[in-house]
Amino acid sequence: MLRTLDQNPESLVVPFPGIVLSPQEARIERGEPVGLIGDAARSKRARIHSMIEGFRERPIRLNVERARLLTESMRQTEGQPTVLRWGKALAHILEHHPIHIEDDELLVGSAGPSGRYAVVYCENAGYGRFYTRDNELTVSRPGDPIIITEADIAVLKNEVLPYWDNHQYNAALMKALPADTKRLMEKIFIVTSTAAARSMLAWAHDYGKVLNRGIGSIKREAETKLDAINPLDTQACVEDKPFLEAVILVCDAMVTFAHRHAALARTMAAAEPRAERREELLEIARVCDRVPEHPATTLREATQSQWFVQIVSRLEQSIGGVVGNGRIDQYLYPYYKKDLEAGRISDDDALVLLESIWVGMARTVDLYAKPGEPSLTDGFAHWEATTIGGVSRDGRDATNELSYLILQSKREFPLHYPDLSARIHSRTPDAFLHAIAETIKEGTGFPKLFFDDEIIPSLLAKGAEVAEANDYCVTGCTEVKMLNRDVVATGCAWVNLGAILEMTLNSGRLKFYSDDRIGVVTGDASGFATFDELWTAFSAQAENVMRHTFIQQFVADKLKSSFIASPMFSMLHDLCTADCKDIHAGPIKNGLYLGFFDIIGFGTVIDSLAAIKKLVFDDRTLTMDELLTALDADFAGHEAVRQMCLNAPKYGNNDPYADNIGRDIEETFALLAHSQTSAFGGELDLRYVSVTSHVPLGMIVAATPDGRRSGEPLSESVSPSQGADVHGPTATLASIASTKCAQYKERAARLLNMKLSPASVAGEIGTKKVMALIRSVCDMKMWHLQFSIINRETLLAAQANPEKYRNLLVRVAGYSAYFVDLTPALQNEIIRRTEHTA
Amino acid sequence: MIADAASGNGTRGWIFNIQKFSLHDGAGIRTVVFLKGCPLACRWCSNPESQAYRPELLYARDRCIGEHECDRCIRVCKAAAIGRDADGKAAIDRSLCNNCGDCAGACPSKALEVSGTLVSVDEVIRAVEQDSGFYVRSGGGLTLSGGEPLAQDSFAERLLATARRRGLDTAIETSGFCRWEALQRVAPLVDQLFYDIKCLDTEKHRVATGVSNEIVLDNFQKLRRDFPATVVVVRTPIIPGLNDSREDIQAIARFIDSAGGATAHELLAYHGFGEPKYQRLGRTYPLGCVETASDESMAVLRKAAACGGDRR
Ligand code: SF4
Ligand code: SF4
Repeated sequence: MLRTLDQNPESLVVPFPGIVLSPQEARIERGEPVGLIGDAARSKRARIHSMIEGFRERPIRLNVERARLLTESMRQTEGQPTVLRWGKALAHILEHHPIHIEDDELLVGSAGPSGRYAVVYCENAGYGRFYTRDNELTVSRPGDPIIITEADIAVLKNEVLPYWDNHQYNAALMKALPADTKRLMEKIFIVTSTAAARSMLAWAHDYGKVLNRGIGSIKREAETKLDAINPLDTQACVEDKPFLEAVILVCDAMVTFAHRHAALARTMAAAEPRAERREELLEIARVCDRVPEHPATTLREATQSQWFVQIVSRLEQSIGGVVGNGRIDQYLYPYYKKDLEAGRISDDDALVLLESIWVGMARTVDLYAKPGEPSLTDGFAHWEATTIGGVSRDGRDATNELSYLILQSKREFPLHYPDLSARIHSRTPDAFLHAIAETIKEGTGFPKLFFDDEIIPSLLAKGAEVAEANDYCVTGCTEVKMLNRDVVATGCAWVNLGAILEMTLNSGRLKFYSDDRIGVVTGDASGFATFDELWTAFSAQAENVMRHTFIQQFVADKLKSSFIASPMFSMLHDLCTADCKDIHAGPIKNGLYLGFFDIIGFGTVIDSLAAIKKLVFDDRTLTMDELLTALDADFAGHEAVRQMCLNAPKYGNNDPYADNIGRDIEETFALLAHSQTSAFGGELDLRYVSVTSHVPLGMIVAATPDGRRSGEPLSESVSPSQGADVHGPTATLASIASTKCAQYKERAARLLNMKLSPASVAGEIGTKKVMALIRSVCDMKMWHLQFSIINRETLLAAQANPEKYRNLLVRVAGYSAYFVDLTPALQNEIIRRTEHTA
Repeated sequence: MIADAASGNGTRGWIFNIQKFSLHDGAGIRTVVFLKGCPLACRWCSNPESQAYRPELLYARDRCIGEHECDRCIRVCKAAAIGRDADGKAAIDRSLCNNCGDCAGACPSKALEVSGTLVSVDEVIRAVEQDSGFYVRSGGGLTLSGGEPLAQDSFAERLLATARRRGLDTAIETSGFCRWEALQRVAPLVDQLFYDIKCLDTEKHRVATGVSNEIVLDNFQKLRRDFPATVVVVRTPIIPGLNDSREDIQAIARFIDSAGGATAHELLAYHGFGEPKYQRLGRTYPLGCVETASDESMAVLRKAAACGGDRR
């Protein structure tokens, strides 16, 4: 039986990565006190240690203030240009949002109340997702992950929600879609659009610009342009002017926001009994008076300025995955170096400043989480992507002392922030790679790795200049952005490849949707005489689903600028300021619109097609009727058929039988992508980034010919089906490489998670092997790789569910062995030992 | 890869596994090719399917679907060697089974599988070279293991020679229980040689492995004498009750020294990984219930080994 789904569209918004439990996270789950790891770190950065102590026990409060102020302003500006309305609204928020300074903190500024908080973005689809239960906005009860008070509810019900019920982009978007596209989009989890779930795709800001020039300079530039507008230039008067006015308003409000903090710090200093803290507060006041208005002169000022930009960005709007930190080791380096040379700071002082940013990020909670599940409190994943390493704009290795320091922090800072990404290229120094390998071995899965040798040429092919491509940063979980060249802003869609397969086998119908014909008529599958006929049907179903996906994206792009504008975001983007246009109001001159779509269930569908090809058409051990009957019964009473399916060729084993089908699927979608031009003249790239969408998307897909049962998750991202890759990671990598159609430029991220046991990479020898593996993966021109060094929980899960963990290799002296092949007694022994390692 | 007819790379041999991404069988990231057949029968052997020189039927009962939905194996077995057990699952009568493998071909769940494939040198090298990119970066390559790889000495020699010629790093793991001529021929073909010395007491050795250790020790002395430059790592599995005393280990260490030393002497704690495999072969586990040596006692033994004399 198919499980029933919560049909409420709010629940369709899927959280970003389900981060694998690291030893640190496991420590948190076991209730051990959170703190910096290692005695040295603890004593030298006592401030940070005390800030994160007891962190998890602190309540999460809802921030409805931003929503209230936004709505208040929006009500007063109806009918005005969108960008000016959002400029006024952000100014209103920055001038009136409550502020506070936490005990002990050096960097100040928060987008919510003290402690942990979650901002309500009432303008987006699914604002009701903070409902705690039954989709009712009710006061929270003890044990709920987020505290919702009576006062919060009053504000939302009386002041906020009634307005947005009539002004939401999401509702307008659904109305604007052609009838047949709307019909498909309403059937959730076939094509899951994120266009209206966030205001922006995952992005970072050009922090360097603020640090070097100051907001004051950005304001002056806008003023000069405004003064220079020829009154007879009608376009400029109607379009450029409101943009420039919005920028000026926002610049002033940002400075005001910082000055409010300065004033608060002075007031607190006056009442502060401890002399030391009094001095700190006065220094906070001095710094906030200076930045972000003026250029930063020290690392302290630079980090405070960066943090203000982040906070204002969070108050402006929601950015996918929450706003990224960009190439932090690059833009902060000059300040760090100058301070160090002047003897103003030590490395530990620098770490305290960086970790102050991490703590600030950790205080925010993303409301993308599933409601009503207290156990998910720590799973409120958000990832302020933070990039280190890679090449510089001029193509030299960019690694510096800060890159190493940030890795050190990643080993010692116990929370899963920041979401650290290391860029690897063919000349990445061994020393840096060594530090990366050592950090990966901590078992948190960080840093994630991005490979310049694949990404930079890909960006060049899409039209970037060499310097821009060299300077890309990571945003979101696997996206990359060139901060002054990319201009894509609207969220993109997840496409359910599993559903397309089911339509292929059922002439356009899906069992979950009561056998409604959702796809096109491709004929009774039992009538297919050859695999080619089946393939033709698959292509037709794929084309139909993609057609609607493209239409949806086009309408979403075109419609958005009437609803959303982001003046602060735009004023930090060279192309937006040059064109005097808000980022959403495309087309932006010279901008590259690198949109995308993700196909979900790649492994599941490759394996399914391979099984049909092998069992039905090549070996003829099954008829199509027998297979369809077994699928229809969800394999109940057809275990032999299911076993044949499970033992057919699988993607991930360097077996051309399966991999060639994967290549054909990639080519089909790459060609569809190639045929398209997006609303503002850009491209929509084929990606494989499921985050955790493969779980809900799997819920609507009936049993598949790879042996997967109805409702089970689809395969994840570009990875093989769970447990299908039984020949080790090198074979998996080879399969992934051989499904890539490098001849098309309309391709982007392929997300790959790789599991290794901690023991297999133990010691210095293990570190060296991880380094070699990374070098090889760089040679293979992969986009992304993240390791999970398997922890105890996984081994226990493997004991309970061996089928899913068939490919888990564990290391013993002298041998490597598959965990599930061992007797329970030995498994326990391994579990015990793994704990030692961790 | 182009078949290398002149060197006779059509030569075939029996293997039972090719394991990629092996991190602990020589330098770097390696591919281990397991040759089938072994003259020893160590009681702790973790790969019992490696021992016989012919294909063998493996039966994993937990994977059998059972009579309600499947009886394919019973229908195809010409020797009538398969019946049903009390739960309706397949039951093999090993005395009737001739290991023909027909049932494995018919089994949908791979409950029945045949261990042992006859492959050519070319086929093996082709599989091994799939990971060339990883060897280049890690210094890895091909490792021959077993079974006893030198039990198929011509096949082993051809594999190693071909790998060498094609620029691959090579290693072999041997029990040393082979004809001296075999060892003599492969020693110049390997970059690293792993050599098992399990126990110096001839009688204990015979009881535990089924053979005397005289050939093993003799070959080792000749190896060190004739190939002093070869990288040789001696490995001793620590089996409680057999060789887990300091005296046992020191005796081995002294012997190594007297023979001219070794690059390293590694002690590996015994782990009963093979136990489920014995069940699949329809055999009982010969070692029974033996504890794994503790970390502490391993540390003591490692120290004893190190005191045995100079290592190179
Ligand atoms: S291997 Fe051959 S003889 Fe043995 S049980 Fe199977 S079919 Fe029968
Ligand atoms: S063919 Fe395989 S699954 Fe079927 S009864 Fe025989 S052993 Fe069991």
